[in-house]
Amino acid sequence: MTNTVSLCNLSELPRNGALGFDPFNEGRDTVFVVDTIHGPVAYRDLCPHYGSTSLPWRKNAYLNSAADKIICAAHGAEFQINTGVCVSGPCVGQSLTPVPIKIAEDGFILASIHQ
Amino acid sequence: MNIIGPDLLVFGVDDVAACTQYVTDYGLIAKGGGRFEALDGTGLQILSKDDPSLPTELETSASLRKTVYGVADQKTLDAIDVELCKDRTVKHLDDGSLEAVDDLGFTLGFQVSVRTLLSLPSEVINAPGSPAQRGINNVGVQKEASPMPRSLSHVVYFVPDFAKAEAFYRDRLGFVTTDRFIGVGPFMRPAGTDDHHTLFFIQTPPHMQGLEHFTFHMGGPTEVMQAGTNMVNKGYQSFWGPGRHLFGSNWFWYFKSPFGCNMEYDADMDLHDANWVARDAPPGADNSQAFLLEHREKWAPMGPPPGKGPPAGKGPPAGKGPPAGKGPPADKEPPADKEPPAGKPKS
Ligand code: FES
Repeated sequence: MTNTVSLCNLSELPRNGALGFDPFNEGRDTVFVVDTIHGPVAYRDLCPHYGSTSLPWRKNAYLNSAADKIICAAHGAEFQINTGVCVSGPCVGQSLTPVPIKIAEDGFILASIHQ
Repeated sequence: MNIIGPDLLVFGVDDVAACTQYVTDYGLIAKGGGRFEALDGTGLQILSKDDPSLPTELETSASLRKTVYGVADQKTLDAIDVELCKDRTVKHLDDGSLEAVDDLGFTLGFQVSVRTLLSLPSEVINAPGSPAQRGINNVGVQKEASPMPRSLSHVVYFVPDFAKAEAFYRDRLGFVTTDRFIGVGPFMRPAGTDDHHTLFFIQTPPHMQGLEHFTFHMGGPTEVMQAGTNMVNKGYQSFWGPGRHLFGSNWFWYFKSPFGCNMEYDADMDLHDANWVARDAPPGADNSQAFLLEHREKWAPMGPPPGKGPPAGKGPPAGKGPPAGKGPPADKEPPADKEPPAGKPKS
């Protein structure tokens, strides 16, 4: 079943940064949103390498220091921010799972999450 | 060849500040120049990935740039020089150490070991039937503790050809295989230590070559738990553990890190000598751990404080029946850094 959940307001998203969310109160972040010049993009917080681990070494640490790649801290996989495709590391060629989002009129980021 | 174990891991990293904070929180002691040490002087060196003093990186751009082995004496160093000179360049660095590249492409260093001999008690326990180890009036645990890593324990490499790796370390450097995950790779110890392993290989496709994790020895299982709990409380995210491995019997707790590899705390590893016969096992969750626990925010099975219970007639009186609130209070959800990493295909 697909749920639509409000993650946060656009204004809360750090410029060129990322935020993790736990929309279903599972005790850990399961979705994250990255700010880009083309607007926000969202993915499931699951690394395709092992398929069962989340990406960051610390809450919200989804990006490298240049903020131009998404990284998995476990074994250093690097993903393109816009496409979610792994371009370096253990799961090269595989992709993060995108989460469709749209922005409501009041600026809230609404995510359609398949559970 | 009397190689004792890894003395130093040299990293070229993306975010020096984050890595510096991380290893400080991990419990290593800053020594200046990007050096961080455990209690016996073994440790890590953190440099920016562009630092010109670093050996060239692997094609996979792994952050580990060099593994420096400590050896017993100059005689051993000379023997390694003679052996490796047969088929590769061995550089003699200004600090007296040697540098060469192994058959997989990892840069290695060799030096007369910097490690000091520690004289510290390990964790001790009391149990019926056994003479008391901890003795009368000695308290076993403190509420707050900041245990410090004692010694660099082991490194685990992702390699494209574990048989080639095993042959190099066995035939050229005198390492011994202590156990083996079939089709994955061997656990190896150099001749100068009894530790079950200082090196483990995991077979992967070539584009993954690099460091899976590095580990420091702690003083016992309680120190692993308390050091790991401190990391969780500082916001670091667990990768696997705490638990206890089967091969090596070491207690473990892994955390993701800004090095782009995992970091582990371990304790109480098996010791072996030449009489040990290596075991084989298929890889997988069943053979990787005796048990796996998972961190949860502190909680106790007790009801509300006296006088704060549910109104009379609406539940059992305090102290009777099952405790009210068998889970954490609603505002005490476990932290967002928990994860269920079941069944990692690793040591
Ligand atoms: S689990 Fe993400 S790179 Fe290995």
